[in-house]
Amino acid sequence: MTKTILFVDDSESIREIVNFTLQNEGYNVLVSDNGKNALSLLDGKDINLIITDLHMPEMNGIELIKEVRKMPHYQRTPILFLTTESQVAKKMEAKEAGATGWIVKPFVPAKLISAITKVIR
Amino acid sequence: MDKLRQKFIEEASEHIRDIEQSLLTLESNPDNHELIEKIFRSLHTLKGSGAMFGFEKISEFTHELETIYDLIRNNKLILGKEVFDLTLACADHLKILISDEKKDNAEINEEYRNLLEKIHEVYSGESMPGKPSANQKDKKTADTGSDLSTYYIYFKPNADIFDNGTNPLFLIDELTSLGHFMAIPYLQDIPEIETIEPYRCYTHWEVIFATSESSDTLNEIFLFVEDNCVLDIQKLANGNLVDNKKFVKRIEKLKETGKDIGIDALKIISEDLEQSVASKVKKALGDEFRTSFRDYTISSIRVASEKLDHLMNLVSELVTTQARLSLYSENDSSSELTAISENIQKLSRQLRDLAFEIVLVPIDTLITRFQRLVRDLSKELGKEVSFIAKGTETELDKTIIENLTDPLMHIIRNCIDHGIETTEERLKKGKPEQGTILLNAYHSSTNVHIEISDDGKGIDAEKVRKKAVAKGLITEDNYLTEKQIYELLFLPGFSTAEHVTDVSGRGVGMDVVKQKITNIRGEIEIESSKNAGTKLTLKVPLTLSIIDGLLVRVEDIFYLIPLSAVEKIYAINHEDIDGKFNNLIVLGGERIPYFYLRKEFNLEADNNINDQVIVIKYETQKVGLVVDEVIGEYQAVLKPLGRHYKNQEIISAATILGDGTIALVIDVNRAVNHFANIITHMEEKI
Repeated sequence: MTKTILFVDDSESIREIVNFTLQNEGYNVLVSDNGKNALSLLDGKDINLIITDLHMPEMNGIELIKEVRKMPHYQRTPILFLTTESQVAKKMEAKEAGATGWIVKPFVPAKLISAITKVIR
Repeated sequence: MDKLRQKFIEEASEHIRDIEQSLLTLESNPDNHELIEKIFRSLHTLKGSGAMFGFEKISEFTHELETIYDLIRNNKLILGKEVFDLTLACADHLKILISDEKKDNAEINEEYRNLLEKIHEVYSGESMPGKPSANQKDKKTADTGSDLSTYYIYFKPNADIFDNGTNPLFLIDELTSLGHFMAIPYLQDIPEIETIEPYRCYTHWEVIFATSESSDTLNEIFLFVEDNCVLDIQKLANGNLVDNKKFVKRIEKLKETGKDIGIDALKIISEDLEQSVASKVKKALGDEFRTSFRDYTISSIRVASEKLDHLMNLVSELVTTQARLSLYSENDSSSELTAISENIQKLSRQLRDLAFEIVLVPIDTLITRFQRLVRDLSKELGKEVSFIAKGTETELDKTIIENLTDPLMHIIRNCIDHGIETTEERLKKGKPEQGTILLNAYHSSTNVHIEISDDGKGIDAEKVRKKAVAKGLITEDNYLTEKQIYELLFLPGFSTAEHVTDVSGRGVGMDVVKQKITNIRGEIEIESSKNAGTKLTLKVPLTLSIIDGLLVRVEDIFYLIPLSAVEKIYAINHEDIDGKFNNLIVLGGERIPYFYLRKEFNLEADNNINDQVIVIKYETQKVGLVVDEVIGEYQAVLKPLGRHYKNQEIISAATILGDGTIALVIDVNRAVNHFANIITHMEEKI
């Protein structure tokens, strides 16, 4: 079955390139520009993986992760977040909020895919 | 993919501009922490997205720059002049990188290396270890042998590992793709079916694994779960033990006990087998704490400007159609139709106003470029100049903004090159060392005025006059007011610089500026006083798509003359112009040259009507246009002419009148030029 990935980032160009890359890999992709909009997308759908940036307007990634974990349907859905190698504190915060793992920015398509295959098959 | 790259380039350009802008503001206000954060944020985004779009160099480059700004924002480095100049140079280079990434130009590569080196010098001068990623890379190359090594991995996930979406089996799976392995699952902790909790993990593993990958790669696999499990990765031996039959046999035996084998037992076995000593591998984790930074975003969307043009076009169509509807409903007795028509009128007016507002852009968007220009140019010329902009929130139609950039750049360049004196000269005159260029924008009725003034030496009117005489533009005995003399500066080919400098005087002069401003129906004025400075005022309309015009008729065609050009209207008798050869008419005591539009448009003269003359401003003089009838003022929404009419000069646009008739908009300046040329041609023929 085709897996559906929700990608949340406030940069339009990143959203588009990730969308392009993931669709090429055969995933269904949904995109959103901030946490709030992402939450509204989750409702009533069956999303297999959520990838989110941490810094976003309206609702940031950490808040999003916390909210998602409150939803019964998404309690154990893998969530990856985008981070840089320098943000150890953020990493811990996001993991405590319930994230599964992270993808270090800047990333190339291969790195993105390898991180994804770590959490969904 | 190209489209995506295009998007990225657009976004990246914006970030680079932001960086530039922030830097320039920072220069005068170096303690503004928010701006440093903003620069950091922009660099960070560029770094983050660059590699994804194939701009690896941008990622690498911004990574290095980011290091500097990280030090600065943590007060470990002072933002000095050196860093300023370097960052500006880097911003310039980034522009090249996003445009020319594909071209492997040696010059660019050299510049790239030079800048990287300089960046490196800046931050390595501080007590800061090299960037962690470089260390990691070195280590990786160091212990990646071509030979296989055998590792022992103990992996015991916490019971709640499933709670954050991790599936530990995927990790074991991932290991298998990296080499030969032997995984031993321990299932004895799984409780009876009645007490089992499906979302708890009861299993742990021991994996013996032979691979050519480094221990870093193995650590990487378990990266996400490090804090949610007991994990031990140790090198057991060089070489591949997994395929060693003796070794496997002994393991199988130990497995039967159902208890963990443990690294110690395995080590004994492998030592027995190979007499080799396993070495511990440390986890390489050189992470450094960095504080998070705030996000600066504007809640706005980006729209392609063609779409806006299209929107404007549709709105203007709607407005014209609505005008027809109003006209029709007025002549119709149905009160219901009148009500609907009035409603539509109200809505379309609101829509029109909104649409016009959407395409307005604040002058602010131009300012960075000017700041940069002033900074670079004054440095180049060894002058000290500060640039102050006021009223930058004033908004203008985006087409006007686009058309203003070059003229304004030219004017500012002139200010620095010709206006502002050198530091010594200024000190001699008792002026402050630093010259000032002030840009002031403000609304004035339906126009926007942009003033650019400097406190330089001003324009020497006498010098200009002499030059004009020398160039044969005027004669020695021409008496001109100061204002008229300044107007001479706008004549083609006039340049006051004694010797042509690299900066201004490159052939395009103020005449081009004037031309460009006129093209957008604007005006330009100069005021100057010796040693106190020069002020140029540009008056431009708020929008190009609406025009206040005078509706006139010639034969059965309607024409629109921009009201801004109209001075006066006179009624004359046809005899006053009939049969005259010198094309001059006396109006209000002045002799004014005129053009009889019927004649210009190759129509028969009509002796039975009383013509009207519209006196218009052309350059500094007055010119009359003779028409059949003046109908009245009319606010028109302009529609561009089709491609086929691009080459004619008289008509600049068209508009649709309320009843659906078309009126043509006369471009006054060009039309007069055109008519005047025809006359000279005729004279030549004679």
